[in-house]
Amino acid sequence: MDIFIQTLVTGLLIGGLYVAISMGFALSFGVLDVVDLAIGMWVVLGAYAAVVGQQAFGIEPLLMLPVVFVFFGFVGWLIGPFIYRVRTSNYALPALMALAFTFGIETAIRGGLLATFGYTPKSVQADLLQGVWHVMGISIPIVRVAGFVFALVLAAALLIFLYFTRLGLAIRAMAQNKDSAGLMGVNVKRMSTLVYALYVGVTSMAGVLVGAVYSTTPQVGLRYTLFAFFVVVLAGMGSVMGVLVSGLILGILQAFVTVYVGANYTLMTVFLVLFLILLLLPNGLARRTA
Amino acid sequence: MTVLEVSAVRRTFGGLVAVQGIDFTIGAGEVVGFIGPNGSGKSTLFNLLTGVLKPDSGNIRLFGEDIVGRPTHLIARAGVARTFQIPMLFWNMTLLENLLAATVEENWSTAQSRAEQVLELLELQHMTHHQARDLSGGQQRLLEMGRILMRDPKVVFLDEVAAGVHPRLREIILTAIRKLRGQGVSICVIEHDMELTQSICDRMIVMDAGKVIAEGPFETVTADPTVMKAYLGDITL
Amino acid sequence: MTLNQSAGWRGLGVVSKVAVIILAVICVSLPFWAGPYWIRIGTGIIMWAGLALSWNVICGYAGYISFGHVAFFGIGAYSTAILMQPEYNWNFFATLPVGAVIAGGLAAIVGWPVLKLRGAYFAIGTWALGEAIREFATVVPFTGGSYGLSLPPNTSSAFFYFTMLAATALAYLICYVLLERSRFGYRVKAVRDSEIAARMQGINADRVKIQAFVLSAIIPAVLGGINAYWITFINPDSVLNTIFTDQMVVMVLLGGLGTLWGPALGAAVLYFLSQQFSALFGSSTWYLVFIGILVMAVVLVLPNGLVSLLPGARKRGVLNQVIGGVVGGIHQTKPSAGAATPKEARHDSP
Repeated sequence: MDIFIQTLVTGLLIGGLYVAISMGFALSFGVLDVVDLAIGMWVVLGAYAAVVGQQAFGIEPLLMLPVVFVFFGFVGWLIGPFIYRVRTSNYALPALMALAFTFGIETAIRGGLLATFGYTPKSVQADLLQGVWHVMGISIPIVRVAGFVFALVLAAALLIFLYFTRLGLAIRAMAQNKDSAGLMGVNVKRMSTLVYALYVGVTSMAGVLVGAVYSTTPQVGLRYTLFAFFVVVLAGMGSVMGVLVSGLILGILQAFVTVYVGANYTLMTVFLVLFLILLLLPNGLARRTA
Repeated sequence: MTVLEVSAVRRTFGGLVAVQGIDFTIGAGEVVGFIGPNGSGKSTLFNLLTGVLKPDSGNIRLFGEDIVGRPTHLIARAGVARTFQIPMLFWNMTLLENLLAATVEENWSTAQSRAEQVLELLELQHMTHHQARDLSGGQQRLLEMGRILMRDPKVVFLDEVAAGVHPRLREIILTAIRKLRGQGVSICVIEHDMELTQSICDRMIVMDAGKVIAEGPFETVTADPTVMKAYLGDITL
Repeated sequence: MTLNQSAGWRGLGVVSKVAVIILAVICVSLPFWAGPYWIRIGTGIIMWAGLALSWNVICGYAGYISFGHVAFFGIGAYSTAILMQPEYNWNFFATLPVGAVIAGGLAAIVGWPVLKLRGAYFAIGTWALGEAIREFATVVPFTGGSYGLSLPPNTSSAFFYFTMLAATALAYLICYVLLERSRFGYRVKAVRDSEIAARMQGINADRVKIQAFVLSAIIPAVLGGINAYWITFINPDSVLNTIFTDQMVVMVLLGGLGTLWGPALGAAVLYFLSQQFSALFGSSTWYLVFIGILVMAVVLVLPNGLVSLLPGARKRGVLNQVIGGVVGGIHQTKPSAGAATPKEARHDSP
């Protein structure tokens, strides 16, 4: 029973991380309608940035969070227009070409990281977050709590932004119907770029925390992309609230598979579950819409 | 002979009731016009009747057979053809290829020559080898009609096929419709253009807020105060 | 970008016909006059032309982007490798259909639910599949795990050149017939362009997509089997590496998505570039950066691929028209023979 509860808690905490890396993408997908194959690479970049900040400049990783957000947000701001352009272009298969474009981004980043840092795993040492709480026989590593808290704060911030600001309103309008939003004075192109920049910034911030919990290599990017995709699909593409729930579900699923089956089988299990879910619930957890 | 029989059809989207309690029949060779304000459920109805959407409840019988839940492509092979409110052509294929693709499941041996004839009828021969994406809006609708002509259907659904189309092209569309009608095809037409509707339809079905509110010949229906109210609201003239 | 239908041999000018014949002669006679290095390069290019073709079938023709395509290549490689182990000792050629059947079967099983969904789901799903297969091969004992398997040696480079050439040529022939000269081609492209409209023309879209996927899986399986015998030793890293899919993607986009011969052109160009790259920089991961940027550049600047740059309609359709000439007499499903107008008006859409 103890193991069960421990696994559950671990799962929830991991789930928090998955929520953090998926939320930005859920927003971006709702607006841009592009699946970013580089999701995981932004996470990994965030982790590596924190590592570099720490090892080269001695900066405490938590302080890197805003730096990472601004820097990679800026990178997203530069790339966003291209993605938008391809997606809305007159190409024969715009969605496919946009997907291919993000694939190019993913490959280029992965290659660059491999060439610069090699295959050795790197970890972010967050000194402020060292240690483990012991509550009723359950061990709760502080760093994972931080990740969980971060996810909640992020979700709250995002929801406040979307539902209580004018900018957020414009973004929600765009997610519903770009043409109408455009006709009401929303600069769709600029906003799409903003959303993409936001998503990249937020996701790489999440990467800093992920890097503190897990060791990172450029190869694990794919894994995070798959997980983020899993979360967003399960939530119902574009549903930001649903991400909160499905991220936690994924975390719990992974924890239980790791403990009761074996770590080697996690990816295969996730794949299988995703497969089955898509079979039965093509719209995810979101309520069926028109 | 009853070609199409619709009873108690209902369809909702989330909380919105798009279509409810729809009952009507279509006979062979009839041309029936569907009119009503925007959002009254006409296109949804067409989607339900062509298998693109599935009704929540109700019956749809085509030539006496229940087609609810039948996959779109089988309904098409049973003799149903349609145009779409926003044209859905095969954009990366040429006009000729679009027409050939329309008949790929039916009589193929004469397809090439029939396609050429259709293009001539539609006065689009000069664009035979151009891609569908190069067509103007009106030409796109013409090509959609062309696909129908290739298929030898028995029931046709036209969703605003003449909307915003140049008068010259519109004439061609009308010719095509009359041709189909001459072959005994039943045609359901959604239109906002009253002149066009009056000239080709045998009778009208008026919809509002997902329900049928009036049915009958053009003159009767357009004089009906309920219909006036639906379009114009509660105005006392 | 535009996706073109090929014309026939008749659309070819005299010069182009001669050029094509010369190219064909060179291809077929290469092992007789070239050194072993060039025979190896030739074998490699031919294999990649075949792999790129297979990816183009599911992507350019069917409109679904497959990021795990290397899985089928690996299945073919391992099928041949396992069956040629001393305890089974199968004849090499007999192993190829086995890999093809397994790969095709997997494509049908995985494709059946996943192809009903949007392209992005398929992309990610196949990516995950590729990884899962690789993990599977690493973990399971009969594949030799991460150590891999050895195959009986065969030193005849000419043998592999001709086998690869035969397999790839056959693949192109089959794809040409099925996709450019048969009703299946119309079905696939219609489903790609507008699935709902395609269904409304009586086309069973679900079945068509699976058929295309299966076709696209069989080709790399056969090539994988040949490749395994050729390189004599395989392990998950050498035949299930994502770099294979990466290269397929780039080759097709670079050459021309949805055209029959674009992939071959892209394969030749990229293979050449990659050889230059490793000559200059060694086998470094900067290569990934290079192809990543190349993909982005092609999408932004040259979405129709290199085939759209070849001057003049006749030259552009050259290779298409070769096959047209060879096959034209044998299998004409276009009801009348008048379809051979040169497709000059194919300009890029803005």
